[in-house]
Amino acid sequence: MNRDDGGTYRRRRFGALCESLRPDLLRFAFWLGRDRQLAEDVVQEAMLRAWKSFESLEEEGKAKAWLLTIVRREFARSFERKRLEVADLDALVAAEADVLAVEQDAGLAEMREALFRLDDEYREPLVLQVLMGYSTREIADQMGLQQGAVLTRLFRARARLRHELGIAAEQSP
Amino acid sequence: MINCLDFRRRVGAEPAAADAELETHCRECPACARYQHELRAMDALIARALAIDTTRIRRHAAAGAPAPAARRQPRWLALAASLVIGLSIGLTLWISSARPSLAREVIGHVAHEPAAMSGVVPIAPTALAGVLDPDGTRLRPGLGDVTFAVRCVFEGRVVPHLVVRMPEGPVTVLLLRHRNVSAPVRLAEQGYAGVVLPAPRGSIAIVGQDRRDLDGVARQVFEAVDWGA
Repeated sequence: MNRDDGGTYRRRRFGALCESLRPDLLRFAFWLGRDRQLAEDVVQEAMLRAWKSFESLEEEGKAKAWLLTIVRREFARSFERKRLEVADLDALVAAEADVLAVEQDAGLAEMREALFRLDDEYREPLVLQVLMGYSTREIADQMGLQQGAVLTRLFRARARLRHELGIAAEQSP
Repeated sequence: MINCLDFRRRVGAEPAAADAELETHCRECPACARYQHELRAMDALIARALAIDTTRIRRHAAAGAPAPAARRQPRWLALAASLVIGLSIGLTLWISSARPSLAREVIGHVAHEPAAMSGVVPIAPTALAGVLDPDGTRLRPGLGDVTFAVRCVFEGRVVPHLVVRMPEGPVTVLLLRHRNVSAPVRLAEQGYAGVVLPAPRGSIAIVGQDRRDLDGVARQVFEAVDWGA
């Protein structure tokens, strides 16, 4: 394979990975920042960084976790740069109303808004577990936490959602 | 043997968890079994709630609007903008100056796939649609045969990359929705000549191997692209 073929092959591989994983990365970034413009910007920057260090990806089977880590770091950078603050949750919900909108399913809409209002520290591990299919060990590695702390956050996240949705509370660990 | 509190701690964090200890407790404690059942049902709802429609995010970002109320431009506005930009190409092209990084990226991309320019067989309309549809873009008929169409990575974004056979020769077209330029940027490197033009959505790079009548070719290509609403 000559140099051009190698470059083309590499670009196509990366392009295919981006195409298949981009929706999940966008969802993750959206739930992380609760802002669709920020989500698009973060994923865009993350893709650029990923492309520059694509050679460091040893196995394509690990591409999702690799890209997710880059998105998470890029989100942290954006947060630092812009010093984002969420002062008014109601305004935030209103601003993203059409992303959160669900037709003909009040239960789903209610859950989506409850998730949107959940504190960052509870929402992120829940998104990683339920949406991304991560184990609690993988979430701990991703977030730099002890596994026990992740279990506690996940328990509390669900307890808060149950409370928000009017389901009977359970004993806290 | 675990008690109800331990069971609920574990299941509350991982509703899908299942092992002999949990199953035994479930069989012996209907309340905890119901609790686990409720949590699993709630997790199914959470999964559905988290799986938002990403096209709503991407549409918003593509429109670049600061607030939802001003998100979408009317179609007539896009058409008017397209016409104004099209008419201004001839006037502004001559004052354009090269931007090294963008020029290098575009020429580098084209030079990496020289074989793409040599095709003569038109690709199937469905294949072209497969490349353009994800961005809501369309190519108006009459420009020439499209002999190459793929979605490529460019500056970290996946963009449509086309080659159109025109009477003047094959022309590479990159639709760069993510890249805004305020004025036309001329390209001339490695035997290629081209221009990046401001477009209704980002910009469009048009590259050929002959710099004669580049402006005319660029105008035809520009006018043939329908960027969607």
